[in-house]
Amino acid sequence: MTVGSSPSSVPTSIPRWARLAWFVPGFLLLLAVVCYPILRTIFLSFTHESLATGFQPEFAAFDNFARLAGDSRLRSSIGATAVFTLVSVSAEFLIGLLLALAANAMQRWRNALRVILLVPWTLPTAVIAVLWTWIFNDQFGALNALLIRAGILSSPVAWLAHPGTAMTAMIVADVWKTTPFVFLILVAGLQNIPHDLYEAIEIDGGGAWARFRHVTWPHLLPFVFVALIFRIVQAFAIFDLVWVMTGGGPGGSTETISVYTYQTYMRYLDFGYGASLAVATVVILAITAGLLYRLLVKKYESAL
Amino acid sequence: MRTLLALLVTGVFALSLRGPGRDNADLSMLMEPDGAGVWSELIDDFHAQYPGLRVDLIEGPPATNTREDMYTTSFLSGAAGYDIVYCDVIWVPKFAAAGWLLDLTDRLSPADTMDFLPVDLRAGSYQDRLYRIPAFTDAGILYYRKDLVSQPPATFDELMRLGNEFKSADRSGFLWQGKQFEGLVTVYLEVLWGFGGDWIDATTHEVLLDRPEAIRALEFLKSTIGTISPHAVTTYVEEDTRNLFQNGRSVFLRNWPYVWTLLNESPLRREDRVGMSPVVHARGYKSAATLGGWGFGISRFTGNPDAAWQLVEFLTRPEQLMKVQTRLGRIPARKSLVPPEFQPILESARMRPPIPEYAPASDILQRWLSGALTGRTSPEEALKNAARETRALLGM
Repeated sequence: MTVGSSPSSVPTSIPRWARLAWFVPGFLLLLAVVCYPILRTIFLSFTHESLATGFQPEFAAFDNFARLAGDSRLRSSIGATAVFTLVSVSAEFLIGLLLALAANAMQRWRNALRVILLVPWTLPTAVIAVLWTWIFNDQFGALNALLIRAGILSSPVAWLAHPGTAMTAMIVADVWKTTPFVFLILVAGLQNIPHDLYEAIEIDGGGAWARFRHVTWPHLLPFVFVALIFRIVQAFAIFDLVWVMTGGGPGGSTETISVYTYQTYMRYLDFGYGASLAVATVVILAITAGLLYRLLVKKYESAL
Repeated sequence: MRTLLALLVTGVFALSLRGPGRDNADLSMLMEPDGAGVWSELIDDFHAQYPGLRVDLIEGPPATNTREDMYTTSFLSGAAGYDIVYCDVIWVPKFAAAGWLLDLTDRLSPADTMDFLPVDLRAGSYQDRLYRIPAFTDAGILYYRKDLVSQPPATFDELMRLGNEFKSADRSGFLWQGKQFEGLVTVYLEVLWGFGGDWIDATTHEVLLDRPEAIRALEFLKSTIGTISPHAVTTYVEEDTRNLFQNGRSVFLRNWPYVWTLLNESPLRREDRVGMSPVVHARGYKSAATLGGWGFGISRFTGNPDAAWQLVEFLTRPEQLMKVQTRLGRIPARKSLVPPEFQPILESARMRPPIPEYAPASDILQRWLSGALTGRTSPEEALKNAARETRALLGM
C-alpha cells in the first residue's frame, strides 16, 4: 500500500464530522444532476404522462414496457444503432490500434502525429456532420466529383438517399472523428508497458508477432476495455451526427435509439413512453458493458 | 491555475442560469433567421409606435422542427421564455391542446375576422377557439416552363407524358420534395387528395391510408422516380428543388409560393418562361393543395399578455404583411392582399388533419412513405403498416 492512498496520511487533527462535511456539497450536486434525473426517468417509465393525460403522471404498471416489446420502430432503431455501433467501433478500434502501434514505434514523429490526429476529435460532432453532409452531397459533393473524375462513377450518386449508403456515410464520418480517441488511449497504454518485458521476449527469440501476442496485447487489455466501453456507450447513444446528416432517414433506416427517444419526448410529448425507451437503452448498455468486462478485464486479471 | 478554473466553471454556470436572452425587454419573440432584415425593421417600427415597449427579437435556426422543439422546451419549463410564438399551422392543435397558447378568439376585431382567409383562421383554431392569428398562407403550386409546355398539365397522366416529352440529358421532368421530412407529407397529400383519398378523416378521425386511392397515390409518386424525376429526388427539400429548377434543370416543379418571388432574380421569370398552375389530380377528381402558413400566437406563460397582443396585432396589420410580402414573397393571409395570380391556387387549399397527435402521425407517414419511395417496402405494404400504426396512435 502506498502512502498517498493510506487513510493515516489525513491529518488527525481534523474531526471526522468536518471531513464528512466537505463531502456534502459535491454529494448534493451529484444527487441533483445525476441521481434525481435517473430516478425520475425510472419513475416516469412506469407512468402514462403525455399530452393526452394533460402531463399528469398516471400509473401504468408495465404498459410502456409491453409497448416496447411490440414496437417495430424501436426494433428498427435498435437494429440501426447496433449496426452503427458494431461497424464504427470495430473500424475505429482497428485503425486506432494500427496507428497507435505505428506511433509507438516512431520516436521522432510521435508527438506531431498525435497532434495531427487529434484535430477531428476536437471539432464538435454537429460541425463534422455538416462537413460530411457536404462531402456526400450528390450535386456539389467532393466525393462524387472525385469518383467521376477518376472514372469510377459515370453519374453522381445520392449517397444519403439510400439506406445502405446513408448508414455507411454516417459510419465513415464517425470513424474519421473518433478514431483519434481510441488512438490516444491505446498510445497511453503502449507507453505503460515496461521495456524489460520486450527485452525478455527478445532474449527468448520471439519475433514481432510473439511480442505483440504475449506482451503488447495482454498488457493493453485494460486500455482496450476503456477505449471500447467509452466508444460503445457513445456510439450507442449517437444523436447529433444522425440528426444533422440524415435526420433518421431515408425511411427511418438510420434512426438510432437516441433519435427515437428524443422524438418521443420532445415532439410527441409522450414522456412516459420516452422514459421507458431511455430505461431500455440503459439496460442494453449495462448488459453490453458487463459482457465486455467479463471478456476483457477478467481475462487480463487471470493472465497476470 | 485552480482559481482560474474555478472562475471559469462559475462563469459558465452563471451564464447558463440566464434564460433565453431577454435583456430588460418587455417581450421576446423567437423568429426564423432574419436574413433580409425585414423582421428587425418591423420591430423598429413597432418601437417607434409604442415607445414604452421593448421587444427582443431572437433569430432561431432555419429548421422549423428545431424551432418547434425550442418552443416546447421553453413551455415545458413553464417560464415565459418566448412571449410571442411564430407558429406553423401544424403546431396549433398540439400547443393548444397542451394549454400553452392564449385563447385569442375575443381579441380579434370583427373587421379582421372578415378579412383573414377563412381556411387560415380555421387552421389557427382548436376546438373552435382561435389560438393563432394568421400572417401568411402557403399552398402547393405546380411551376412549369412556359417556353417548353404551352398548356400546363391538369392530370397525373398529362404530367407524366409532358415530363417525359420535354426532359433531356441535363433537364429532369418533374421535381418534388422526397426527403423524409414534413415536406414529403405535403407532397403526398396533394397526390392523395388528387386521387380522391384522404389521410385521417377530419371529423371521425378514421384512418384511410390503406384504401386503394392511397396506394394508387403512392404508386404514382414512386413511378415518377427514374422516369420524370431524378433518383436523388428522395433526398431533396424545397431549396434543392428550387435551385435546380431556377437553373433550368427541370420542366416542372412542385413547391410553395415563395419561389415565385425568388424567381424574379432569374432569367426564367424575366423572359416570361415560367408559369404557375394548380397541382395536378387524377381524371375525374379535383386539384387540392396542401395548406401551410405562419401566424402569431401568445405564450400562456407571458407576463405581459396585453403588450404581446399589441405586438401581434401590429405585425398582422396589412401594411406590415405587405412589407414582408414584397421582401420575402410570402402571401399575406388577408383576402384583400392576396395577389391575383395566387387566387386560383389558394382556393383549393386543404388543411392537414388538425389533431394534437399530428407530429407522431406525420412521422409514421413520413417513415413509411420514404421507405416505399426508396424501395425498402412496396407501397401497399408501407401504407398498410402506416395505417395500422396510426390507428394504434389514435387509439382506434
